[in-house]
Amino acid sequence: MKHTIRAWRTGVVAAAVLLLAACQGHGSGDASLPSPSASSAFTHPDANGGRSADDRSEHVDLQFYMLGSAPPDMPRIQSAINEMTEAELNASVTFNFIAWTDYDLKYKQLLSSGQSVDLLFTADWAQYQTYAKRGAFLPLDDLLPAASPALQRFVPQETWDAVRIDGHIYTVPSTFKEYVTGGFVWREDLREKYGLPKPVDIATFEAYLAGIKRHEPDMQPVAIGAEVQNALAFSQLDVTRHSIGSMPYGLLATYANPADVRSYWGSPEQLADLKLFKRWSDLGYFSKNELNTSEFNQDRIIDGSAAAMFGDNLIRYNEALNNMQAAHPDWRLGYYPFPMAKGYATPVHPTHNGFAIPKSAKHPERALAFYEKLVTDERYNRLTEYGIEGVNYTIEDGYYRMIGDTSTNGFPREAMNGWAWRNPEYMLFAPSYDEIRSTFRELDRIQKPDIYTGFAEDDTAYQAEKAALDQVQKLYLYPLLAGLVDDVDAGLATFMKEAKEAGLDKVQAAYKKQWLAYLKERGIAGS
Amino acid sequence: MPKKYGFVQELIKNRTLFLMLLPVLAYFLVNNYVPMVGIYYAFVRFDFNTPLFRMDFIGLKNFEFLWRSGKLTELTYNTIGYNLIFIGLGNALSVTVAILVSEVKSKWFKKITQSVLFLPYFVSFVILSVIVFNIFNFEHGVLNTVLKALGADPVDVYSKPKVWILLIVVFYLWKSFGYSMVIYLAAITGIGEDYYEAAKIDGANTFQRAWHITLPMLKNTFVILLLFSLGTIMKGQFDLFYQMVGNNGLLYSTTDILDTYVYRSLKVTFDMGMATAAGVYQSLFGFTLIMVVNGIIRKINKEYALF
Repeated sequence: MKHTIRAWRTGVVAAAVLLLAACQGHGSGDASLPSPSASSAFTHPDANGGRSADDRSEHVDLQFYMLGSAPPDMPRIQSAINEMTEAELNASVTFNFIAWTDYDLKYKQLLSSGQSVDLLFTADWAQYQTYAKRGAFLPLDDLLPAASPALQRFVPQETWDAVRIDGHIYTVPSTFKEYVTGGFVWREDLREKYGLPKPVDIATFEAYLAGIKRHEPDMQPVAIGAEVQNALAFSQLDVTRHSIGSMPYGLLATYANPADVRSYWGSPEQLADLKLFKRWSDLGYFSKNELNTSEFNQDRIIDGSAAAMFGDNLIRYNEALNNMQAAHPDWRLGYYPFPMAKGYATPVHPTHNGFAIPKSAKHPERALAFYEKLVTDERYNRLTEYGIEGVNYTIEDGYYRMIGDTSTNGFPREAMNGWAWRNPEYMLFAPSYDEIRSTFRELDRIQKPDIYTGFAEDDTAYQAEKAALDQVQKLYLYPLLAGLVDDVDAGLATFMKEAKEAGLDKVQAAYKKQWLAYLKERGIAGS
Repeated sequence: MPKKYGFVQELIKNRTLFLMLLPVLAYFLVNNYVPMVGIYYAFVRFDFNTPLFRMDFIGLKNFEFLWRSGKLTELTYNTIGYNLIFIGLGNALSVTVAILVSEVKSKWFKKITQSVLFLPYFVSFVILSVIVFNIFNFEHGVLNTVLKALGADPVDVYSKPKVWILLIVVFYLWKSFGYSMVIYLAAITGIGEDYYEAAKIDGANTFQRAWHITLPMLKNTFVILLLFSLGTIMKGQFDLFYQMVGNNGLLYSTTDILDTYVYRSLKVTFDMGMATAAGVYQSLFGFTLIMVVNGIIRKINKEYALF
C-alpha cells in the first residue's frame, strides 16, 4: 500500500513538472512583448498579427469593467448595445461590474491575475498613476490613431497630455469639465429654524454644530464615518491649510508653494487640528463610535439622523438632496464649497475619469474602436448613460426626466457610472442640475489648474514601510482623529514614535524627492 | 501486507479502480497542486511586464512587511490564542449540548432545538456586526439605553479592548457551535443502541453512560474536527474579526489577527509578491501545526491520525 502511494506521488510530481513547463512556455511567449518604454512602434500581437490595423474579420467578445453594481435593466442595455456592435464592429461586449466594497483589492486581483480585461475604468483615486507607472496598462499612443482616430481628435491635445505617465498615454480621459471639491453640507431648514450661522469656515461650522446639539439633542450634528482620515484630516487640510492635494504619509505642501513640502504629522498644526477634532468629539458633535459605523454619511443625512457633513462634493450633495426630499419634501440642505473659502478652485483633473486597456486585453484595437463609439456616437452614449428613451427616461424642454423613481426605474440617470465616457454634447441634465451649473460657473471665476493629480508616485522602493505605516496610522492616528485618546499631546507623540519606527522618514524623503522632480519636469515653479 | 506488488502490477490488477480515480487526481492536480507554482511570487519583485520566472529574485524581502511594524509576535499570539479558545470551548460546548439533545426523548423538542441552534450559522458576519453595533453603540445602543433607564452611567464598549476578547468568543460560539453540534449529534446517532442497553442492564445511569460510552465513541470525530480546524488556524475567522472590529485601532491590541493585519497591509500596496508572502507564511504555519499535532496523535493512537 505504502509503495503504491509513493509511486503515485512520483507520478504526480512528474505531471506537475510537465504542466509547469507548459505554463512557463506560455509565459515566455508574453515576454516577447516589448516594454512600454521601448515601444515606439508598439502593436499588440494578438489583435493584428503584425498588420498595422485590426481588419475586424474575426468576431470578438470584449470584456468591459466598470466600478459599481449593475442596474436592473443592464441586460436590456447590453443586448441593445450588442445589436449595434455586432453589426458595426463584429464584436459583442460584456459589461462587468466591480462592486464598491474593497474595490482597490479587486482591481489589483483583476490586473495581476492575467484575466482577460479589454477595458477598465481608471481614476486618480483608484491609483491610475501607480498602475500606469508599473506597466499594468497598454500604452495607447500608437494604438489611438489606428484604432480610434475620431476619439483621438475628440479629446483635446492638452487633455491627452495631462494624463501622460512617463511620456505615455495609458487612459482615455473624460472631457466633461466639472469640479469635484469638498464643501460644507448642512440642513438649511434647521439652520433657519434656529437662526444659526451659515457655515463658511471652521468657526461658523462649529457654531452651527453647537446650535444643532443644543436644539436637536437626538440628532448627531455631523456625520463623519469610519474613514476619519478622509472626513476630518483631509477636509481640514484642504479648507484651512490649503493643501495642494491629499498627500500621503502625512506630508503637506500648499497650493501657493508646492515645492515647500514638509511633514504635517507631528507639526504644531496637526496638534491643533487633533485638538479641534477632540473638542468636537467631547462636545458630542459626532459619535464616540464613529470608527465602527458602517452607514454612509449621505444616508445619515437622508434619514435625518445626522445634520451636517464636513466635506462632500457638489454632485453627491445634489444626489443626497434629491433622495432626501423624495422622502421628506419639507427638509432642505445647504452647500458651501471649500474653494469659496480658499479663494481658488481646481477643476477636476483629466485622470479623474478614464478607461484604460490592461496588458491582459485580448483585443485592444477593437476595444478602443468600441470605446470610440461609446463616447462619440450619440446612440451608444445616450443608451449607456441614460438608458432607453421612453422606457427609462424622456427629454422634456431639453431636460432629462426619469420615468418613475429610483426604486421603479431599472436604469436611473448614469446608472452604469458612465462618468468616463460622458460627452458634453450629448449630456442630459435634470432641472436640479441648474444649481450645480451655476455654482460651477462661480467656481470658473476663481479656477486654477490642478497641479497635484498628474503626479505618479513610484513606491517600489518602500513598499514594506508603506504597509507598516498604514498599520501604525490605523492603530494610533485613527483613534486620535476620532477623539478617543484623552491626552492628545501624548497620543501624538506615541504615533510619531511608532511611525518613525515603521520607516516614516525614509518614505517621506523618497516621496519628497519624486515630488520635487515632478515639479521640475512639469516646470511648476516652487516660489 | 503479505506480499509487495510493484506499481505496474498494481496498476494492471486494479486498472478499473485507477481509471475511476483519474478524474479526482486531475481535479486535485489542476486546482490544488499546479497553482502552488505561484508560491514563487513570494520571492520575486512583481512586475506586470515580466513572466513569473524572469522576475528579479529578491529573497525574503517580500516578507519584511510582516515584521516591519513589530506586531508579528502579537498577531501570531492573538491568532493562536483565539483559535485555541475557539477549538477548546467550541468542541466542549457542542459535545455537551449534543449529548444533552441526544438524551431528550421528545422528537419534536429535539428538532426544534437543533434548528434553533443551527440557525445562527447562516447569519452573515456583516449582519452580525450591525447587530453588535446596535447593541453596544455608545449613543443609541440597546445596552446604554437600558443602563441610562436604570440610572447607571453609559459605557463605551468600543474603547475597551479587553471586553472584546469575551465578545468575540461569545459571538463566535453563538454563530458556529450549532454546526459542530449537528456533526456530533450525527456521530452519537451512529453509536449502536446495544452498548447503552448493556450498560443499562449493568445499572449505569445517564451520566455514566455518557461518560463511558458516548464520549469515548466520539473521540474519532473530535480528532478529525480538531485536525481540520488546526490546519486553518492561521487563516481562521477573518470575517468575524474584520466585521466586528473594522477600523477601530483602539481594539487592535486584543483583536488583530494575522489575517486582518495582512488584509489591511495589502489594501495599501500593490504587490502580488507581498500578498503571496503573507499566504506562504500562513500556510507554512498551518502545515507545521497540523504535521506536529497529527504526529503526536499518531504516536498515541495510530487509528485516530488523519494520515
